Amino acid sequence: MAKENKLIKEFYELKVDQLMDKRVWDLPLIEENEDIHHVLSILGARNHIWVIKNKENKELIGVITEHDVLSILAPKHFPSYVFGMPDVRSIQHGTANTAGEVMASKIIMCDPNEKIIDALMRMVKFKLRRLPVVKDKIIVGELTLHQLIRKYYSATQYHPILNDGEG
Amino acid sequence: MIVTEEFFNVLLLIAIALIFARVLGYLFHKFKQPAVIGEIIAGILLSGLGVFVLSNQNYILFNYTISIPNINELFKSPQFIFFAEIGILFLLFISGLETSISKLKKTEKASLYVAIGGVILPLFLGFLSGIFFGYSFTESVIIGLILTATSVGVTVRSLMDLNVLDTEVGATILSSAVFDDIIGIILLTFAMGIGSLMDAVWIGIKIAIFFFIFLYIGLKIIDKILLLGEKLLLPKSFLSITIAILILYSFFAYESGISGIIGAFVAGAIIGQNVRSKNIIDDIKAIGYGFFIPIFFVYVGASLWNGGDIEISSFTSIFLFIIIIIFMSIIGKILGCGIGAKLAGMSKIESLQVGVGMIPRMELALIIATTAQSHNILIGNVAHIILLTTIILTIATSLIAPFLIKATFKNND
Repeated sequence: MAKENKLIKEFYELKVDQLMDKRVWDLPLIEENEDIHHVLSILGARNHIWVIKNKENKELIGVITEHDVLSILAPKHFPSYVFGMPDVRSIQHGTANTAGEVMASKIIMCDPNEKIIDALMRMVKFKLRRLPVVKDKIIVGELTLHQLIRKYYSATQYHPILNDGEG
Repeated sequence: MIVTEEFFNVLLLIAIALIFARVLGYLFHKFKQPAVIGEIIAGILLSGLGVFVLSNQNYILFNYTISIPNINELFKSPQFIFFAEIGILFLLFISGLETSISKLKKTEKASLYVAIGGVILPLFLGFLSGIFFGYSFTESVIIGLILTATSVGVTVRSLMDLNVLDTEVGATILSSAVFDDIIGIILLTFAMGIGSLMDAVWIGIKIAIFFFIFLYIGLKIIDKILLLGEKLLLPKSFLSITIAILILYSFFAYESGISGIIGAFVAGAIIGQNVRSKNIIDDIKAIGYGFFIPIFFVYVGASLWNGGDIEISSFTSIFLFIIIIIFMSIIGKILGCGIGAKLAGMSKIESLQVGVGMIPRMELALIIATTAQSHNILIGNVAHIILLTTIILTIATSLIAPFLIKATFKNND
């Protein structure tokens, strides 16, 4: 038990940079002007897509999750009170045509130098399973709950938390 | 703490009001009408039952006597009005939360022109109608203001049914409706304090200072304040901090001599821009839509019976006034917004479609009427007549607009 306790403390103290997926080329990225059908085709295989300004500089401007697509795919339903700017994005009504129109632009992210404990707390707070790792507005990696579980479990099985060359 | 019988009577009334509001709201929704109308009618029915049937009656059921208090007095009680007023703050706060400043900055010229045209002409026509029917200058300004703000809910539903939401007309209507809400709220603040030209200048300065301090600086520091809320690891502490900001902004807006509702709107706008707001919008809507806002609409309906003694002989003139106001509200938007759209380069038919799409009035019109009443700008019979007019105006425009929208788009084919 004490050993587990020590391990988890070490785990918390690690930097995001040490555990994140740095293979940016392998991340689901899409430019904001790309067609909604391209978004749908990626989400047929992945759970989310990071929306970037353009493929050259990879400035992160939004995220599209399955939930975002659900709200544009299902028939539009308005609440009793429509006051202010209503959300009219819908595939049925032709008001969701590009990735930029569908994405959520409020992105909860983390910094490569943050501790894992802070990233985990943010995931809990915002009920998220993944965080983009962003440096100077540019996406440099991704931290997923799946990865964290895998890394931690592997460490409990006497494998090093960090592989050779990481950290 | 002294808990009076009246307090529990008000609580009972709130419970009944919520049930009535939801049931009637649902029925209206079922018949493809705005649920808000059902909630207002719930207020009219409940208060009407109170006035004419139930109040101060004793009923005996199995040796148990049920005494029904004076329902109409309870609707006028400070406790019930307090909940209704919070409902207004929540409505504006949610509106601010859902207003994207970045999207507003990107708004096309057409939307701005349409919004301005759609505020100026209805305001002017409403004002003239007020003067014509013998209302004072300030009362006539309020009548004009009631006609300014579009409620976009009815239009959006009609445009969706016609499958034309993705057109330039649809986009212009949506953005313009947000602008005319904002202009309407600011103009209401002017109207509440204006006694002379100097007052207008002074209020203008106060609004500018308020916007600078609470919007500009608020945008700079809101992240740190919300971060504090996020760090307090207690259940829903983040929500508590957000509601505290809403109340503080309304308080300072009121203390600055401008309306508390501007404070609520600005608080919503700055929090809505922050990434952390992602977590609380649903909670705020749950509290607002689930509790305070229906109470506000029921209160609006119930206020219909709160008027003074209107003589039967004046019914014809009131009826005529209501007809004129409805007519002016429709013509004002069709011409005002239509001219704005035409000036921005839209075609004749598109301009007409935009004008017709901007006809519905609802939430802000009711807020303006009740706020003017609670600030004693409208009193006695005048307040009663204007509120009655506003309620009928909202119902009439919500019912008429879909037919006109369909007709103008048919012409387009």
